[in-house]
Amino acid sequence: METQLKEAVRSCPADYAEVRWEEVERSCVAFQRDQLMALERSREAGGTVRALVGGAWGTAVFTDPEEVPRKLSEATKLARAAARKVRDPIRLAQVPVVRDVFRPRLERDFRQVSLEEKRRLMENYNRIILDYSPQIAASSVRYTDSLRRIYYANSEGTYIEQAIPDVTVLLAAVARRNGDVQQAFESVGEAAGYELALGLEEKAEEVARRAVDLLSAKPVKGGRYTVVLDQELAGVFIHEAFGHICEADFLLRNEPMRKVMQLGRRFGVEALNVVEEGYLPGRRGNAPYDDEGVKRRKVYLIKEGVLSGLMHSRATAAKTGMEPTGNARAVSWEHEPIVRMRNTYIEPGEASFEELISGIDHGVYAKGAFGGQTELEQFTFSAAYAYEIKGGELGEMLRDVVLTGNVFDTLRSIEAIGNDFVLKGGAGGCGKGGQAPLPVTDGAPHVRIRDVIIGGR
Amino acid sequence: MGILERAAAAAQSAELYEELRSTVDVTFRGGEIEKVGSREVLGRALRVIEGGRLGFASTAGEDEEGLVQAALASAKHGDPAPFSFPTLSSGEKVEVLDEEVLALSPEELISWGEGAVQAIQEEFPDVIVDVSLSRGTLEVRITNTSGGELIEKRSHLSMGIEVQRIGEGDIYLLWVGRTVRRRADLVPEALVEEALRYLRWGERVAPAPQGQPPVLFVPKGALVLLLPLMVGFSGLSVVMGTSPLKGRLGQQVFDPKFTLVDEGTLPFAPGSRSFDDEGIPTCRLPLVEEGIVENFLFDLRAAALADSDPTGSGLRGGLLGRGGFRSPPTPGVRNLVVRPGEGSVEELIAEMDKGLVVVEVLGLGQGNVQSGAFSNNVGVGFVVEDGKVKGRVKNTMIAGNAYEVLKGGLRAIGGPPEWVYGLVYVPPILVEGVSVASR
Repeated sequence: METQLKEAVRSCPADYAEVRWEEVERSCVAFQRDQLMALERSREAGGTVRALVGGAWGTAVFTDPEEVPRKLSEATKLARAAARKVRDPIRLAQVPVVRDVFRPRLERDFRQVSLEEKRRLMENYNRIILDYSPQIAASSVRYTDSLRRIYYANSEGTYIEQAIPDVTVLLAAVARRNGDVQQAFESVGEAAGYELALGLEEKAEEVARRAVDLLSAKPVKGGRYTVVLDQELAGVFIHEAFGHICEADFLLRNEPMRKVMQLGRRFGVEALNVVEEGYLPGRRGNAPYDDEGVKRRKVYLIKEGVLSGLMHSRATAAKTGMEPTGNARAVSWEHEPIVRMRNTYIEPGEASFEELISGIDHGVYAKGAFGGQTELEQFTFSAAYAYEIKGGELGEMLRDVVLTGNVFDTLRSIEAIGNDFVLKGGAGGCGKGGQAPLPVTDGAPHVRIRDVIIGGR
Repeated sequence: MGILERAAAAAQSAELYEELRSTVDVTFRGGEIEKVGSREVLGRALRVIEGGRLGFASTAGEDEEGLVQAALASAKHGDPAPFSFPTLSSGEKVEVLDEEVLALSPEELISWGEGAVQAIQEEFPDVIVDVSLSRGTLEVRITNTSGGELIEKRSHLSMGIEVQRIGEGDIYLLWVGRTVRRRADLVPEALVEEALRYLRWGERVAPAPQGQPPVLFVPKGALVLLLPLMVGFSGLSVVMGTSPLKGRLGQQVFDPKFTLVDEGTLPFAPGSRSFDDEGIPTCRLPLVEEGIVENFLFDLRAAALADSDPTGSGLRGGLLGRGGFRSPPTPGVRNLVVRPGEGSVEELIAEMDKGLVVVEVLGLGQGNVQSGAFSNNVGVGFVVEDGKVKGRVKNTMIAGNAYEVLKGGLRAIGGPPEWVYGLVYVPPILVEGVSVASR
């Protein structure tokens, strides 16, 4: 593979060319109630080439490995068609030429575990959920694993082979009473072996219990609250609230946005530090290099409340005069790399959980994450469940808690940061530009924020 | 020997789904061309029944033997197949291919993008405009051991425009787009006009009305109400008991003004096709007739479990069913059509007097969708006072329950409908019973 890919990019006439060929081994087991919806162990392969000509990109996605040279000429031709119209050409920041091979070590290689064993494990979790109570109407249990082997070569001489393992388990329960339907879920996800999927019996029971409990929970009343976010939700919060806007592809050919995102500008309180970590072995989606062959490195997005770094591809780094950070990622061989997050987190502070909730007269403790979305300025993030806070103590369970914030205000409204840091990679992923779900991790301690709008009746 | 023959030699029965996706796409960033890309992806999925047990495998690329072995291995540990593969016969041929789309060159797509950037910046010189365009085909071939072969080539063409208006402490982000099958159905000028309208309406920020004001969902916003229904009408949700519509066939569940049809055969509609991803002919499937629940969406599995007939709704690629050989079929919608009434957006705005127009929300689907509950940030929305748009809202949440709103809160359905995401065809919908919270 190495000779073939290197030869192809070397002889490509574009100003710059690269090829990424991927071989994926994956398996999946999924139950919905009593139905086995998926049981699969498959392989697939495919690739993407990119050519830069006159400051414009041409790309081609394909599934036949014999086609690499032809696809490189096609991408070059497409780039030429685009280049005729370019006024502000794309340039690439200089990076070291690399030759490296990276193979992760798995404690228990999931490729050596039979489909039958995976099925039995999931069937057991599924049974625990379904047997919990007659009010459990349905369940959803899903296991996935994959080993993505990436062969990367570019015309500057870089050649990298990397493999990224991924294991996820999603456990979900649906409870029903009269016309009301409530759901609860938990998930795990890491760049790990099969061991990650084991021992989740308690989580399965917890999910079932919570779905039933939510039938009796009160819908939250809409309004403005002081909220305490648990670690998982605070992780999603920082991903949505500030992660996306620090992806520097938003700044390409966007002078007004570059003004908004000036390094040194204050966005948060003094106590706030936000990190975008480069390579964390064993964590979901992690590998030493990004999909442009750039070594991933750590970036402080916010240091003591002040914007101090952004996430870059080679093109955004060149445009802004910064160093590339290794944030160019492709969700699969079907896509080209774009600027994405990796491991995004709020550094721990000093407050204990008791300190965080004490003194809140009327607030909400929001736990777990359904997900979130951002449109640069405004963002939302949804809690899986929540509790009232009354007179500094936890009260009744709440449901349907969706929170909203604003990049210009909300990070300044953080009142306290906990000392109980957790970094999490779940079973879902991040979506951007039609590329989803990209495995990422989010992290935070408990965080307390005032003046958060929660939707509700 | 072909894949199906090899599978048939080792299993009782088999079904092969093959898709070839060919596209050319063009991306503009900051008003300027950034990328032209091409895509040619061959995906296959094989289902087998052996020893009465169902097996599934999928692959991209050329590994044919690997696919057969994977499907057989899956069947070995699988469950009894609740259904058998149908005899494949082409029903009525639906019009889904426009040669004019195939003939569009990258240069033509680039010129559409340039035209859109220019037209928007003529009126709003300070905005940032990103445009994406894509044209291509999806060729599907389905064969199975019950006999028959179905082949269809479907064209698609799409254009999306994102506009960012960035001020100090205020970023207004707007997206409009269309996906069609026929070149004549994509009018770039109409998309530009839509973006300009929302830019004009959004020049000023205005405080959102509080409490439960009338809310007008204009096309894209209506997904807030329709997404829970897509889940609720899935025959699988009904069989699983997670749909609030379970057991309510023939009952008046919605307002009599509400009629909802899943149209599989509308000529050149973005979700139309002659057959679903299991080879069942598509059809016109009324889901709600004047408020009464008429049908659910069934694929082979859900139909077998419900002791019902498949409705040509077995789609790969999840709920939105827009392709994807990796996932086995599940019930999904082809073209979800809400029957229009009368009254344009402007007329409904005048009629509502005071309220909120919701064009786009954040966090769609991130909540307890099955129950019908929604709670979303209004990404693009406008305040109405004295029957006129006063400005754009920020930091505003809407919340309610789609089933309750479409029963007790439906004030008017306007017209004409518009396509949203190449998935639903929906007119403006004016409702009550949605709570608004804002800061």
